[in-house]
Amino acid sequence: MNLVLKTSSALLFWASTLLLSAQADADRLLGVWEPSNGKARVKIEKIGPKYYGKIVWLKEPVDPKTQQPKTDKNNPDESLRTVPLKGYRLLKDFSYAGNNSWSEGTIYDPENGSTYSCTISMKDPNTLDIRGYIGISAFGRTDVWKRLQIPAK
Amino acid sequence: MEAASNPGEIMLRLKHYALGLLFLCPLIASAQTDSSSTDEDWDMYGNLDFADKGAKRFASSKVLNLSPARLIGVGYEVVGGAGLSSPAMPVPNAPTDTSASRIGLSHGLRLQANIPLISRNNIIWQMNLNYQDQNYVFEDAAALTHPLHRWLSRNGLRSAGLGFTVFKPFDEKNFVLLQASADASGDYGWKRLPSFGNLRYSAALLYGRKVSDRFMWGAGISRTYRVGELNYVPVVLLNWTSASGKWGVECLLPARGSLRRTFSPRSLATLGFELEGQSYRLENVDSDILVSQTNLELRRSELRLRLEYQRSLSGFYWIGIQAGLRYNYAFELDSFGSDNREFFRGFFGDQGYLLENSLQHTWFVSVVFSLVSP
Repeated sequence: MNLVLKTSSALLFWASTLLLSAQADADRLLGVWEPSNGKARVKIEKIGPKYYGKIVWLKEPVDPKTQQPKTDKNNPDESLRTVPLKGYRLLKDFSYAGNNSWSEGTIYDPENGSTYSCTISMKDPNTLDIRGYIGISAFGRTDVWKRLQIPAK
Repeated sequence: MEAASNPGEIMLRLKHYALGLLFLCPLIASAQTDSSSTDEDWDMYGNLDFADKGAKRFASSKVLNLSPARLIGVGYEVVGGAGLSSPAMPVPNAPTDTSASRIGLSHGLRLQANIPLISRNNIIWQMNLNYQDQNYVFEDAAALTHPLHRWLSRNGLRSAGLGFTVFKPFDEKNFVLLQASADASGDYGWKRLPSFGNLRYSAALLYGRKVSDRFMWGAGISRTYRVGELNYVPVVLLNWTSASGKWGVECLLPARGSLRRTFSPRSLATLGFELEGQSYRLENVDSDILVSQTNLELRRSELRLRLEYQRSLSGFYWIGIQAGLRYNYAFELDSFGSDNREFFRGFFGDQGYLLENSLQHTWFVSVVFSLVSP
């Protein structure tokens, strides 16, 4: 019986440690990141078990045509074209797939209103490879995002 | 850990572990709940530095609202009727006077693929494939007497190319663009493939600056066959988009240039030109045609003034419809002689052509279906 008890304890401990460790790995994605074009900054957050990224800063926040804050004017859905870009979720539904990668998500390009399939790979703690693609990964483009440092409050 | 000695104690300990697990579950669950904040301090995000101090920003290869890049394109082109006249061919039994005939129509398939091999911030390397053919339908083809006209009627022209494009930014402003391709152009078919020895090589190297998200320029040098034969010309890149995003200019001079009107991210029109040309090897020569000449190349070049409308059919699938005038710049026949060596005539060379033909200007239309790039 003691052996059963010890084995159960070890398994429970091992399972919980593994679960928390995987969780910690997955959560390394959280933070504020800058795409390569430097036009925006994206904060990646977690909602439930999935990861989402929203625009928190724009290099040109004002539409030069309307002189109003930029909205999602290129969205194919007309009803969404007045939604402000600041706060817009352009990364959606990413799940941690292990091995420093997050998959099954999509990325939205506000410049043309297109949504692409997307995978995220963490090359190092401060660098993400964001690959948007059409259908198969070969028909895609990889953008390198860099982590921004949030000052301690 | 002290060993449990009876079943009651074991059960008690198991209960403790279960309670411990119950305690852990909320911790794990809390890690899966909403980490988002509804109360953002938006201003703080403007003053952040890279966590990695060595991180750099790089210029992208596009400006805002640039025409979509085609990953795959499948198109068909029809060119209107045009008169073709050629001086006498220096072969036995050929007419001794200038021969004039009329091409009723020419048409052909156009395929292209631009596959990104490496697509990262600090380098983009893309492989380019293209294929196009031109079939000539002569009026009264059976009565053609000139060897060149008969040859065109029987064989048509084909061109297939494999190349690459490299965009290498050094920082946020400066970049280098390199394009190179090897083209097999001629009268080959599936039964007789072109010879590697007759490949024609083109290349362009530019240094450029990305001034803003709406403007980039570049300048450099190219080795090109767009004028029908080997030439070296300066090249200028210019991509510009107006502040409203509605208007723009896309130029890679002298190859092409256009004024762009963007109606929406899914539809646009361009008005401009393209200089198209290749040197076509004539190998599929019948015994009664061009028999006394060897190593012939047809130097074909045309300036196309065109209006194009492109729109998304569904998602990333686009259609492009093009119409315009085809201005014939060159349709001359060269002979390399027995040494079979390409030569550089340039704009000012005095080497004579074997035949200087006259091809009338005419209209053309084309349609292309494409899968566009992210």
